[in-house]
Amino acid sequence: MPPETAEPGAGNMPVPVWLMVLFFVLLYGGMVFFDRYGGWFDAEVYMPYASLADVQACQPHGGGPSAERGRAVYENICGLCHNSDGKGRPGQAPPFVGSEWVTGSPNLMIRIPLSGLSGPVRVDGTEWNLSMPAMGAALPDDDLAGVLTYIRQSWGNKASAVTPEQVKAVRAELGARSQPWTAEQLKALP
Amino acid sequence: MNYGPLLFLAAFFALAGSWFGFVLTPQAQIGQLQPTNMLGAPTLYPQARPGLARQGLGVYRANGCADCHTQQLRQRGTLCDVVLSDTGTNIPAVITALLKVKPGLSGPAARQWLSVLPRPVLQGLTPAEADAAVRVLNGAGAKATVSIVPVGPDLARGWGKRRTVARDFLFDYPVALGSQRIGPDLANVGARQPDAGWHLRHLYAPRLEVKVSAMPPHRFLFEKRKIERSPSPDAMVLPRDLAPPPGYEIVPKPEAGALVAYLLSLRADAPLFEAPLTVIPAPGAAGATNAPAASGATSTNAAPTKAPAK
Repeated sequence: MPPETAEPGAGNMPVPVWLMVLFFVLLYGGMVFFDRYGGWFDAEVYMPYASLADVQACQPHGGGPSAERGRAVYENICGLCHNSDGKGRPGQAPPFVGSEWVTGSPNLMIRIPLSGLSGPVRVDGTEWNLSMPAMGAALPDDDLAGVLTYIRQSWGNKASAVTPEQVKAVRAELGARSQPWTAEQLKALP
Repeated sequence: MNYGPLLFLAAFFALAGSWFGFVLTPQAQIGQLQPTNMLGAPTLYPQARPGLARQGLGVYRANGCADCHTQQLRQRGTLCDVVLSDTGTNIPAVITALLKVKPGLSGPAARQWLSVLPRPVLQGLTPAEADAAVRVLNGAGAKATVSIVPVGPDLARGWGKRRTVARDFLFDYPVALGSQRIGPDLANVGARQPDAGWHLRHLYAPRLEVKVSAMPPHRFLFEKRKIERSPSPDAMVLPRDLAPPPGYEIVPKPEAGALVAYLLSLRADAPLFEAPLTVIPAPGAAGATNAPAASGATSTNAAPTKAPAK
Protein backbone atom coordinates (compact mmCIF):
# COMPACT_ATOMS: atom_id res chain seq x y z
CA MET A 1 0.00 0.00 0.00
CA PRO A 2 1.55 3.24 -1.12
CA PRO A 3 2.17 5.83 1.53
CA GLU A 4 -0.57 8.38 1.92
CA THR A 5 0.31 11.63 0.28
CA ALA A 6 -1.02 15.07 0.92
CA GLU A 7 -4.19 16.25 -0.79
CA PRO A 8 -3.38 17.68 -4.25
CA GLY A 9 -3.84 21.40 -4.33
CA ALA A 10 -3.54 24.17 -6.85
CA GLY A 11 -0.22 25.95 -6.72
CA ASN A 12 0.19 29.66 -6.91
CA MET A 13 1.68 31.17 -10.00
CA PRO A 14 2.02 34.90 -10.45
CA VAL A 15 0.43 36.44 -13.57
CA PRO A 16 3.28 36.82 -16.06
CA VAL A 17 4.46 40.37 -16.60
CA TRP A 18 4.24 40.11 -20.40
CA LEU A 19 0.55 39.24 -20.09
CA MET A 20 -0.10 42.37 -18.04
CA VAL A 21 1.83 44.47 -20.54
CA LEU A 22 -0.08 42.93 -23.44
CA PHE A 23 -3.34 43.62 -21.63
CA PHE A 24 -2.55 47.27 -21.14
CA VAL A 25 -1.31 47.65 -24.72
CA LEU A 26 -4.59 46.19 -25.98
CA LEU A 27 -6.57 48.42 -23.63
CA TYR A 28 -4.66 51.48 -24.80
CA GLY A 29 -5.14 50.55 -28.46
CA GLY A 30 -8.85 50.05 -27.86
CA MET A 31 -9.18 53.45 -26.24
CA VAL A 32 -7.29 55.18 -29.04
CA PHE A 33 -9.55 53.46 -31.59
CA PHE A 34 -12.64 54.49 -29.66
CA ASP A 35 -11.46 58.06 -29.37
CA ARG A 36 -10.78 58.23 -33.09
CA TYR A 37 -13.80 56.41 -34.53
CA GLY A 38 -16.33 56.20 -31.70
CA GLY A 39 -17.97 59.58 -32.17
CA TRP A 40 -18.20 59.82 -28.38
CA PHE A 41 -21.75 58.41 -28.19
CA ASP A 42 -23.13 61.30 -30.21
CA ALA A 43 -26.61 60.45 -31.50
CA GLU A 44 -25.86 62.14 -34.81
CA VAL A 45 -22.60 60.40 -35.62
CA TYR A 46 -22.89 57.15 -37.58
CA MET A 47 -20.37 55.18 -39.57
CA PRO A 48 -18.65 56.12 -41.87
CA TYR A 49 -18.35 59.42 -40.00
CA ALA A 50 -15.87 59.31 -37.14
CA SER A 51 -16.83 62.46 -35.26
CA LEU A 52 -19.27 65.34 -35.19
CA ALA A 53 -16.72 67.51 -36.99
CA ASP A 54 -16.60 64.87 -39.72
CA VAL A 55 -20.39 65.03 -40.16
CA GLN A 56 -20.31 68.82 -40.23
CA ALA A 57 -17.60 68.84 -42.89
CA CYS A 58 -19.82 66.65 -45.08
CA GLN A 59 -22.89 68.91 -45.03
CA PRO A 60 -23.81 70.34 -48.43
CA HIS A 61 -22.60 73.92 -48.40
CA GLY A 62 -21.54 76.78 -50.58
CA GLY A 63 -18.25 77.51 -48.87
CA GLY A 64 -19.58 80.70 -47.27
CA PRO A 65 -18.49 84.22 -48.11
CA SER A 66 -14.79 83.88 -48.74
CA ALA A 67 -12.12 86.35 -47.74
CA GLU A 68 -11.01 86.81 -51.36
CA ARG A 69 -14.53 87.67 -52.40
CA GLY A 70 -14.91 90.15 -49.55
CA ARG A 71 -11.64 91.79 -50.49
CA ALA A 72 -12.66 92.07 -54.16
CA VAL A 73 -15.95 93.72 -53.23
CA TYR A 74 -14.20 96.04 -50.78
CA GLU A 75 -11.70 97.28 -53.32
CA ASN A 76 -14.42 97.77 -55.91
CA ILE A 77 -16.83 99.70 -53.74
CA CYS A 78 -15.74 100.66 -50.23
CA GLY A 79 -12.03 101.20 -50.84
CA LEU A 80 -12.65 104.11 -53.19
CA CYS A 81 -13.44 106.34 -50.22
CA HIS A 82 -12.32 104.36 -47.19
CA ASN A 83 -8.98 103.56 -48.85
CA SER A 84 -7.68 100.07 -49.52
CA ASP A 85 -5.73 100.11 -46.24
CA GLY A 86 -8.91 100.87 -44.29
CA LYS A 87 -7.51 104.09 -42.86
CA GLY A 88 -10.11 106.33 -44.49
CA ARG A 89 -9.49 109.66 -46.22
CA PRO A 90 -9.62 113.00 -44.45
CA GLY A 91 -12.71 114.95 -45.45
CA GLN A 92 -14.03 111.94 -47.38
CA ALA A 93 -14.52 108.88 -45.17
CA PRO A 94 -13.64 107.83 -41.61
CA PRO A 95 -11.20 104.94 -40.97
CA PHE A 96 -12.12 101.31 -40.33
CA VAL A 97 -8.89 100.58 -38.47
CA GLY A 98 -9.56 100.78 -34.75
CA SER A 99 -13.13 101.95 -35.31
CA GLU A 100 -15.53 100.98 -32.54
CA TRP A 101 -18.34 100.95 -35.14
CA VAL A 102 -16.57 98.20 -37.06
CA THR A 103 -15.53 95.97 -34.20
CA GLY A 104 -18.79 96.46 -32.29
CA SER A 105 -22.10 94.71 -32.85
CA PRO A 106 -22.54 93.43 -36.43
CA ASN A 107 -26.20 94.36 -36.06
CA LEU A 108 -25.33 98.08 -36.23
CA MET A 109 -22.63 97.68 -38.81
CA ILE A 110 -24.86 95.84 -41.31
CA ARG A 111 -27.32 98.77 -41.28
CA ILE A 112 -24.80 101.38 -42.41
CA PRO A 113 -24.14 100.09 -45.97
CA LEU A 114 -27.79 99.06 -46.33
CA SER A 115 -29.27 102.54 -45.67
CA GLY A 116 -26.30 104.89 -45.44
CA LEU A 117 -25.19 107.16 -42.60
CA SER A 118 -25.24 110.95 -42.38
CA GLY A 119 -24.54 113.61 -39.80
CA PRO A 120 -21.97 113.89 -37.03
CA VAL A 121 -20.31 110.66 -35.97
CA ARG A 122 -17.38 110.09 -33.62
CA VAL A 123 -14.88 107.45 -34.84
CA ASP A 124 -11.79 106.55 -32.85
CA GLY A 125 -11.78 109.89 -31.01
CA THR A 126 -12.27 112.10 -34.08
CA GLU A 127 -15.46 113.93 -35.01
CA TRP A 128 -16.67 113.43 -38.62
CA ASN A 129 -19.63 115.12 -40.26
CA LEU A 130 -20.22 113.57 -43.67
CA SER A 131 -22.84 111.63 -45.56
CA MET A 132 -22.50 108.08 -46.83
CA PRO A 133 -25.04 106.79 -49.40
CA ALA A 134 -26.54 103.28 -49.19
CA MET A 135 -23.58 101.70 -50.99
CA GLY A 136 -24.41 98.13 -49.99
CA ALA A 137 -28.14 98.10 -50.70
CA ALA A 138 -27.62 96.61 -54.17
CA LEU A 139 -25.16 93.92 -53.07
CA PRO A 140 -26.36 90.31 -52.67
CA ASP A 141 -26.47 89.08 -49.07
CA ASP A 142 -23.38 86.90 -49.31
CA ASP A 143 -21.26 89.60 -50.97
CA LEU A 144 -22.25 92.12 -48.31
CA ALA A 145 -21.56 89.58 -45.55
CA GLY A 146 -18.20 88.81 -47.17
CA VAL A 147 -17.14 92.44 -47.38
CA LEU A 148 -18.27 93.20 -43.81
CA THR A 149 -16.36 90.14 -42.60
CA TYR A 150 -13.31 91.36 -44.52
CA ILE A 151 -13.55 94.80 -42.87
CA ARG A 152 -14.04 93.30 -39.41
CA GLN A 153 -11.09 90.95 -39.75
CA SER A 154 -8.46 92.94 -41.65
CA TRP A 155 -5.80 95.54 -40.77
CA GLY A 156 -5.61 94.35 -37.18
CA ASN A 157 -9.37 94.26 -36.59
CA LYS A 158 -10.39 91.04 -34.90
CA ALA A 159 -14.19 90.90 -34.72
CA SER A 160 -16.60 88.06 -35.46
CA ALA A 161 -17.56 87.18 -39.04
CA VAL A 162 -20.86 88.36 -40.50
CA THR A 163 -23.03 85.66 -42.02
CA PRO A 164 -25.35 86.07 -45.04
CA GLU A 165 -28.22 85.05 -42.73
CA GLN A 166 -27.56 88.05 -40.46
CA VAL A 167 -27.53 90.38 -43.47
CA LYS A 168 -30.72 88.84 -44.75
CA ALA A 169 -32.44 89.32 -41.38
CA VAL A 170 -31.43 92.98 -41.12
CA ARG A 171 -32.43 93.61 -44.72
CA ALA A 172 -35.86 92.14 -44.04
CA GLU A 173 -36.18 94.25 -40.88
CA LEU A 174 -35.34 97.47 -42.69
CA GLY A 175 -37.79 96.78 -45.52
CA ALA A 176 -37.96 99.72 -47.89
CA ARG A 177 -36.19 102.20 -45.60
CA SER A 178 -34.51 104.86 -47.70
CA GLN A 179 -33.54 107.36 -44.98
CA PRO A 180 -29.88 107.26 -43.95
CA TRP A 181 -29.13 106.55 -40.31
CA THR A 182 -27.71 109.04 -37.87
CA ALA A 183 -25.17 108.06 -35.24
CA GLU A 184 -27.72 108.68 -32.45
CA GLN A 185 -30.27 106.38 -34.08
CA LEU A 186 -27.73 103.59 -34.43
CA LYS A 187 -26.54 103.99 -30.86
CA ALA A 188 -30.13 103.74 -29.62
CA LEU A 189 -30.46 100.29 -31.25
CA PRO A 190 -29.69 97.18 -29.18
CA MET B 1 -22.04 28.94 0.61
CA ASN B 2 -18.81 30.37 1.88
CA TYR B 3 -18.70 32.85 -0.98
CA GLY B 4 -22.33 33.94 -1.01
CA PRO B 5 -21.78 37.71 -0.92
CA LEU B 6 -18.96 37.46 -3.49
CA LEU B 7 -21.12 35.40 -5.89
CA PHE B 8 -23.98 37.81 -5.40
CA LEU B 9 -21.77 40.80 -6.15
CA ALA B 10 -20.27 39.09 -9.19
CA ALA B 11 -23.72 38.30 -10.59
CA PHE B 12 -24.92 41.78 -9.75
CA PHE B 13 -22.06 43.51 -11.51
CA ALA B 14 -22.26 41.22 -14.54
CA LEU B 15 -25.96 42.02 -14.99
CA ALA B 16 -25.60 45.70 -14.09
CA GLY B 17 -22.71 46.05 -16.54
CA SER B 18 -24.65 44.59 -19.44
CA TRP B 19 -27.74 46.64 -18.51
CA PHE B 20 -25.57 49.75 -18.46
CA GLY B 21 -23.99 48.93 -21.81
CA PHE B 22 -26.95 47.57 -23.73
CA VAL B 23 -29.91 49.46 -22.24
CA LEU B 24 -28.89 52.63 -20.46
CA THR B 25 -26.22 53.87 -22.87
CA PRO B 26 -28.28 53.45 -26.07
CA GLN B 27 -31.23 55.03 -24.26
CA ALA B 28 -29.11 58.04 -23.31
CA GLN B 29 -27.70 58.15 -26.82
CA ILE B 30 -30.76 57.89 -29.07
CA GLY B 31 -33.66 57.58 -26.63
CA GLN B 32 -34.60 61.25 -27.03
CA LEU B 33 -34.60 61.33 -30.85
CA GLN B 34 -37.29 63.57 -32.29
CA PRO B 35 -38.39 64.25 -35.84
CA THR B 36 -36.19 66.93 -37.31
CA ASN B 37 -36.03 69.17 -40.34
CA MET B 38 -34.75 67.69 -43.54
CA LEU B 39 -31.58 69.40 -44.77
CA GLY B 40 -32.42 72.61 -46.55
CA ALA B 41 -36.17 72.12 -46.32
CA PRO B 42 -38.71 73.11 -43.67
CA THR B 43 -40.26 69.61 -43.78
CA LEU B 44 -40.25 67.46 -40.66
CA TYR B 45 -38.78 63.99 -41.02
CA PRO B 46 -39.82 61.31 -40.37
CA GLN B 47 -43.58 61.56 -40.60
CA ALA B 48 -45.71 58.88 -38.95
CA ARG B 49 -46.78 56.21 -41.43
CA PRO B 50 -50.41 56.30 -42.58
CA GLY B 51 -52.81 54.07 -40.58
CA LEU B 52 -53.08 51.38 -43.24
CA ALA B 53 -49.29 51.22 -43.48
CA ARG B 54 -49.05 50.82 -39.71
CA GLN B 55 -51.38 47.83 -39.97
CA GLY B 56 -49.16 46.63 -42.78
CA LEU B 57 -46.19 46.54 -40.41
CA GLY B 58 -48.17 43.96 -38.43
CA VAL B 59 -48.68 41.87 -41.59
CA TYR B 60 -44.98 42.27 -42.47
CA ARG B 61 -44.10 41.01 -39.02
CA ALA B 62 -46.64 38.20 -38.95
CA ASN B 63 -45.43 36.78 -42.25
CA GLY B 64 -41.79 36.86 -41.28
CA CYS B 65 -40.77 39.21 -44.08
CA ALA B 66 -37.93 40.44 -41.84
CA ASP B 67 -36.43 36.94 -41.90
CA CYS B 68 -35.38 37.39 -45.52
CA HIS B 69 -35.33 41.16 -46.01
CA THR B 70 -33.36 43.80 -44.16
CA GLN B 71 -34.27 47.46 -43.84
CA GLN B 72 -30.85 48.82 -43.10
CA LEU B 73 -28.34 50.18 -45.56
CA ARG B 74 -24.65 50.60 -44.89
CA GLN B 75 -22.42 53.28 -46.29
CA ARG B 76 -18.70 52.91 -46.78
CA GLY B 77 -17.82 56.56 -47.24
CA THR B 78 -18.82 59.96 -48.44
CA LEU B 79 -17.46 61.82 -51.45
CA CYS B 80 -17.78 65.49 -52.24
CA ASP B 81 -18.50 66.96 -55.65
CA VAL B 82 -18.04 70.61 -56.50
CA VAL B 83 -21.04 71.86 -58.45
CA LEU B 84 -20.92 75.17 -60.28
CA SER B 85 -24.40 76.65 -60.44
CA ASP B 86 -23.81 80.21 -61.55
CA THR B 87 -20.92 82.10 -63.14
CA GLY B 88 -21.73 85.51 -61.68
CA THR B 89 -20.74 88.55 -63.72
CA ASN B 90 -17.00 88.20 -64.20
CA ILE B 91 -16.75 85.37 -66.75
CA PRO B 92 -12.99 85.72 -67.54
CA ALA B 93 -12.12 85.51 -63.83
CA VAL B 94 -14.34 82.43 -63.48
CA ILE B 95 -12.61 80.81 -66.45
CA THR B 96 -9.20 81.50 -64.89
CA ALA B 97 -10.39 79.98 -61.62
CA LEU B 98 -11.91 77.02 -63.47
CA LEU B 99 -8.64 76.31 -65.28
CA LYS B 100 -6.88 76.42 -61.92
CA VAL B 101 -9.14 73.87 -60.22
CA LYS B 102 -9.84 71.67 -63.23
CA PRO B 103 -6.61 70.82 -65.03
CA GLY B 104 -6.97 69.43 -68.53
CA LEU B 105 -9.45 72.05 -69.65
CA SER B 106 -8.36 74.70 -72.15
CA GLY B 107 -9.60 78.27 -72.41
CA PRO B 108 -12.09 78.02 -75.31
CA ALA B 109 -13.31 74.65 -74.00
CA ALA B 110 -13.89 76.23 -70.60
CA ARG B 111 -16.14 78.90 -72.09
CA GLN B 112 -18.08 76.19 -73.89
CA TRP B 113 -18.15 74.14 -70.73
CA LEU B 114 -19.72 77.00 -68.78
CA SER B 115 -22.70 77.24 -71.11
CA VAL B 116 -24.67 74.46 -69.38
CA LEU B 117 -25.05 75.06 -65.66
CA PRO B 118 -25.41 73.79 -62.99
CA ARG B 119 -22.95 70.96 -63.50
CA PRO B 120 -20.27 69.25 -61.42
CA VAL B 121 -16.76 70.66 -61.82
CA LEU B 122 -14.91 68.01 -59.83
CA GLN B 123 -16.10 64.69 -58.43
CA GLY B 124 -15.01 62.32 -55.71
CA LEU B 125 -13.07 64.73 -53.50
CA THR B 126 -12.55 64.84 -49.76
CA PRO B 127 -14.35 67.67 -47.91
CA ALA B 128 -11.11 69.66 -47.54
CA GLU B 129 -10.26 69.42 -51.27
CA ALA B 130 -13.81 70.37 -52.20
CA ASP B 131 -13.72 73.38 -49.87
CA ALA B 132 -10.46 74.57 -51.42
CA ALA B 133 -11.89 74.35 -54.95
CA VAL B 134 -15.09 76.12 -53.89
CA ARG B 135 -13.05 78.91 -52.34
CA VAL B 136 -11.16 79.46 -55.60
CA LEU B 137 -14.36 79.52 -57.67
CA ASN B 138 -16.36 81.68 -55.26
CA GLY B 139 -13.43 84.07 -55.01
CA ALA B 140 -13.91 84.76 -58.71
CA GLY B 141 -17.55 85.60 -58.11
CA ALA B 142 -19.00 82.29 -59.30
CA LYS B 143 -21.42 80.30 -57.18
CA ALA B 144 -20.04 76.87 -56.44
CA THR B 145 -21.42 74.48 -53.85
CA VAL B 146 -20.20 71.24 -52.32
CA SER B 147 -22.56 68.39 -53.01
CA ILE B 148 -22.41 65.25 -50.93
CA VAL B 149 -22.51 61.77 -52.45
CA PRO B 150 -22.68 58.79 -50.08
CA VAL B 151 -21.02 55.66 -51.50
CA GLY B 152 -20.89 52.00 -50.61
CA PRO B 153 -21.80 48.55 -51.98
CA ASP B 154 -25.40 48.75 -50.75
CA LEU B 155 -25.86 52.11 -52.44
CA ALA B 156 -24.15 50.89 -55.61
CA ARG B 157 -26.81 48.16 -55.82
CA GLY B 158 -29.38 50.91 -56.11
CA TRP B 159 -30.99 50.12 -52.78
CA GLY B 160 -30.92 53.71 -51.59
CA LYS B 161 -29.13 57.02 -51.66
CA ARG B 162 -27.68 57.10 -48.15
CA ARG B 163 -27.25 54.90 -45.11
CA THR B 164 -30.19 54.39 -42.80
CA VAL B 165 -30.05 56.01 -39.37
CA ALA B 166 -32.02 55.55 -36.16
CA ARG B 167 -34.28 58.48 -36.98
CA ASP B 168 -35.66 56.65 -40.03
CA PHE B 169 -37.37 54.15 -37.73
CA LEU B 170 -38.74 56.60 -35.16
CA PHE B 171 -42.39 55.70 -35.71
CA ASP B 172 -41.97 51.95 -36.19
CA TYR B 173 -42.71 49.54 -33.39
CA PRO B 174 -41.19 47.04 -33.50
CA VAL B 175 -38.43 48.12 -35.85
CA ALA B 176 -38.23 45.47 -38.59
CA LEU B 177 -34.51 45.81 -39.23
CA GLY B 178 -33.97 42.21 -40.28
CA SER B 179 -30.63 40.46 -40.32
CA GLN B 180 -30.50 38.27 -43.44
CA ARG B 181 -30.59 39.30 -47.06
CA ILE B 182 -32.15 36.39 -48.88
CA GLY B 183 -34.11 39.06 -50.72
CA PRO B 184 -33.11 42.63 -51.41
CA ASP B 185 -33.05 45.36 -48.79
CA LEU B 186 -36.41 47.09 -48.42
CA ALA B 187 -35.43 50.35 -46.67
CA ASN B 188 -36.28 52.28 -49.86
CA VAL B 189 -38.63 49.91 -51.62
CA GLY B 190 -41.39 52.54 -51.71
CA ALA B 191 -39.09 54.88 -53.61
CA ARG B 192 -37.74 52.14 -55.91
CA GLN B 193 -41.09 50.65 -56.86
CA PRO B 194 -43.96 53.05 -56.19
CA ASP B 195 -46.51 50.96 -58.14
CA ALA B 196 -49.04 49.23 -55.84
CA GLY B 197 -50.14 46.89 -58.65
CA TRP B 198 -46.57 45.66 -59.08
CA HIS B 199 -46.38 44.82 -55.39
CA LEU B 200 -49.69 42.94 -55.44
CA ARG B 201 -48.68 40.87 -58.50
CA HIS B 202 -45.28 40.28 -56.92
CA LEU B 203 -46.88 39.03 -53.71
CA TYR B 204 -49.26 36.77 -55.62
CA ALA B 205 -46.64 35.35 -57.96
CA PRO B 206 -43.14 36.75 -57.46
CA ARG B 207 -41.73 35.31 -60.67
CA LEU B 208 -44.27 37.20 -62.76
CA GLU B 209 -42.31 40.36 -61.91
CA VAL B 210 -38.83 39.12 -61.03
CA LYS B 211 -37.73 36.11 -63.09
CA VAL B 212 -35.16 34.86 -60.59
CA SER B 213 -37.09 35.62 -57.42
CA ALA B 214 -36.59 33.22 -54.51
CA MET B 215 -39.61 34.59 -52.70
CA PRO B 216 -42.45 32.18 -51.92
CA PRO B 217 -45.83 33.23 -53.36
CA HIS B 218 -48.11 34.76 -50.74
CA ARG B 219 -51.41 33.62 -52.24
CA PHE B 220 -53.05 33.30 -48.84
CA LEU B 221 -53.17 37.10 -48.83
CA PHE B 222 -55.62 36.90 -51.76
CA GLU B 223 -59.00 35.27 -52.16
CA LYS B 224 -60.68 33.59 -55.09
CA ARG B 225 -64.35 34.40 -55.23
CA LYS B 226 -67.27 34.11 -57.55
CA ILE B 227 -68.08 37.22 -59.55
CA GLU B 228 -71.51 38.25 -58.28
CA ARG B 229 -72.93 41.15 -60.28
CA SER B 230 -69.91 42.91 -61.74
CA PRO B 231 -66.16 42.20 -61.40
CA SER B 232 -64.32 43.96 -58.55
CA PRO B 233 -62.11 46.87 -59.57
CA ASP B 234 -59.40 45.37 -57.38
CA ALA B 235 -59.40 42.04 -59.22
CA MET B 236 -55.93 40.84 -60.21
CA VAL B 237 -55.05 40.74 -63.90
CA LEU B 238 -53.08 37.52 -64.29
CA PRO B 239 -51.64 35.53 -67.22
CA ARG B 240 -53.66 32.58 -68.43
CA ASP B 241 -51.91 29.84 -66.44
CA LEU B 242 -52.59 31.65 -63.17
CA ALA B 243 -55.97 33.14 -64.02
CA PRO B 244 -59.02 31.82 -62.14
CA PRO B 245 -61.72 29.84 -64.01
CA PRO B 246 -64.35 31.91 -65.83
CA GLY B 247 -66.85 33.45 -63.44
CA TYR B 248 -64.27 33.76 -60.66
CA GLU B 249 -61.85 36.50 -59.73
CA ILE B 250 -58.85 36.88 -57.43
CA VAL B 251 -58.89 39.92 -55.15
CA PRO B 252 -56.39 40.97 -52.47
CA LYS B 253 -57.54 40.56 -48.88
CA PRO B 254 -57.30 43.63 -46.61
CA GLU B 255 -53.99 42.25 -45.27
CA ALA B 256 -52.45 42.43 -48.73
CA GLY B 257 -53.61 46.01 -49.11
CA ALA B 258 -52.12 46.93 -45.74
CA LEU B 259 -48.83 45.19 -46.51
CA VAL B 260 -48.53 46.99 -49.86
CA ALA B 261 -49.34 50.32 -48.17
CA TYR B 262 -46.55 49.60 -45.69
CA LEU B 263 -44.07 48.70 -48.44
CA LEU B 264 -44.95 51.87 -50.35
CA SER B 265 -44.36 53.91 -47.19
CA LEU B 266 -40.81 52.56 -46.86
CA ARG B 267 -38.43 55.22 -48.05
CA ALA B 268 -35.42 56.43 -46.13
CA ASP B 269 -33.88 58.85 -48.59
CA ALA B 270 -34.47 62.23 -46.92
CA PRO B 271 -31.27 64.24 -46.49
CA LEU B 272 -30.57 64.56 -42.76
CA PHE B 273 -27.84 66.18 -40.73
CA GLU B 274 -26.53 62.81 -39.58
CA ALA B 275 -26.81 61.32 -43.07
CA PRO B 276 -26.07 64.24 -45.39
CA LEU B 277 -26.80 63.93 -49.06
CA THR B 278 -27.27 66.27 -51.99
CA VAL B 279 -29.64 65.57 -54.82
CA ILE B 280 -28.07 67.12 -57.92
CA PRO B 281 -30.58 68.77 -60.22
CA ALA B 282 -30.27 67.67 -63.84
CA PRO B 283 -28.31 70.12 -66.06
CA GLY B 284 -30.48 73.05 -67.05
CA ALA B 285 -33.32 71.90 -64.80
CA ALA B 286 -32.57 73.98 -61.70
CA GLY B 287 -35.58 74.29 -59.47
CA ALA B 288 -37.25 71.23 -60.93
CA THR B 289 -36.71 69.21 -57.74
CA ASN B 290 -37.29 70.01 -54.11
CA ALA B 291 -33.73 69.01 -53.21
CA PRO B 292 -31.56 71.38 -51.15
CA ALA B 293 -29.24 72.03 -54.10
CA ALA B 294 -32.16 73.38 -56.06
CA SER B 295 -33.04 75.95 -53.41
CA GLY B 296 -29.47 77.23 -53.56
CA ALA B 297 -29.66 77.33 -57.35
CA THR B 298 -32.88 79.31 -57.40
CA SER B 299 -31.49 81.91 -55.02
CA THR B 300 -28.46 82.33 -57.27
CA ASN B 301 -30.68 82.97 -60.26
CA ALA B 302 -31.65 86.24 -58.64
CA ALA B 303 -28.06 87.21 -57.86
CA PRO B 304 -26.91 88.63 -61.24
CA THR B 305 -29.76 91.16 -61.30
CA LYS B 306 -28.82 92.38 -57.82
CA ALA B 307 -25.11 92.49 -58.52
CA PRO B 308 -23.47 95.91 -58.40
CA ALA B 309 -23.12 97.71 -61.67
CA LYS B 310 -19.56 98.77 -60.92
